[in-house]
Amino acid sequence: MDLIDRYVHEVGQRLPHRLRADVEAELRSLLTDSVEEKARLAAIPADEGLAAAVLREFGTPKDAAARYAPEPQYLIGPRLYPAYVTAVKIMLPILAALTLAAVVAGQFRHAGEPPSLEVFVRATGRFLWSALENLGIMTLIFALVERTTREREAAGAAFDPATLPPVNDPDKISYFGRIFALYAIAVLVLAFNFFPNWVALFVFHGSEGALYPLLTPDFNRYLPLLNAWWLLAFVLNLVVLRHGRWTRPTRLAEFGLEVFNAVVLLLIVIGPPVFRYDAPIKVVLQWFLLFSAIRACVLLYRLLRRRPAEPWARR
Amino acid sequence: MVIGGTQSTPRDNLSLELRRGALVLAVLVELRHEEYGYSLKKLLADKGLEIDEGTLYPLLRRLESQGLLKSAWRVEDGRPRRYYQASTQGEKLAKELAAEWRALAGVIGKLIG
Repeated sequence: MDLIDRYVHEVGQRLPHRLRADVEAELRSLLTDSVEEKARLAAIPADEGLAAAVLREFGTPKDAAARYAPEPQYLIGPRLYPAYVTAVKIMLPILAALTLAAVVAGQFRHAGEPPSLEVFVRATGRFLWSALENLGIMTLIFALVERTTREREAAGAAFDPATLPPVNDPDKISYFGRIFALYAIAVLVLAFNFFPNWVALFVFHGSEGALYPLLTPDFNRYLPLLNAWWLLAFVLNLVVLRHGRWTRPTRLAEFGLEVFNAVVLLLIVIGPPVFRYDAPIKVVLQWFLLFSAIRACVLLYRLLRRRPAEPWARR
Repeated sequence: MVIGGTQSTPRDNLSLELRRGALVLAVLVELRHEEYGYSLKKLLADKGLEIDEGTLYPLLRRLESQGLLKSAWRVEDGRPRRYYQASTQGEKLAKELAAEWRALAGVIGKLIG
């Protein structure tokens, strides 16, 4: 029957691929049985009208698929949604501020000329475009975290009250912070590897925007090290998110990565020129290096001071 | 008695919740013998337990994924049908649940007088 075929197809489209064929076959068999039974009881032919009545009882394809779906089908679930909203609320003003800064920087270069309407139109376009790009990356990262950290509590797994975290848990993680770190890493990897010209100062000259790239081709010598660092940091953040809290091994890994970070920064700072405006950028990197070294010391101090992992951290 | 379907009022929801617990036991007991989905629905309906298809079929799949039912596709009258039957584990569970049901029914019977 045409209606049943269309209904089964619509339900199947809403199911994971691995379930689709099986559920479709079973659903078709069930619906056909139901229609034939109704026809037999009412002593009327099994036609499309009867099929429509059965399908109405069965509910919309969306409802039917939801009953068969093994787990909720959403991109970002209720656990991560508040962090997602916060991240978007923070990201948008930052992008707006950066766009405004580019307009203001352009004004400094063209002192005396009032910014034209065209500048603001182009700046708004630029802002909307970068907002869409960043929103896409952010959503992908949240979706990835949702899929990799979705809680799958084993049925019947014994509950050990000793694993309950303390009220003021020093190992508690901030979902927002960890996911924002993933987003930042994704943006850095994309920019440095695929769009090195985007690692640039953006300034509006009159109505035209201009990019002043910061990297020279010589910078590529550091890319393997930086990629290794970003990859390890990405994996660490995913592991921490999956655990739901810091553990001693992940704290140790965090310390190791901070040392790695400091070494990479040191190599860049003491190495040959690799930036177009090498001297001022290296001054900024020296501050980053100082911050990284201090942070590594703080992490080491915390590691040494803490007792062996508490029961709640031994998961 | 109908289990499943669209429920809206708090009374309907609580009533549905109360009955839903019995559904697993009913299905496991009836599936001591092999049945396909629609025949099981009819069998239960004939004994006074009407079950909405949207409730029954996902339940069968869930019980199968938990190892309480086993299933096999067979072609009958030119149409493929999936037959379900309680596994050894399912039969054991049905006996345990039946004992619990009788005990609970006794207690609730005394409570409500």
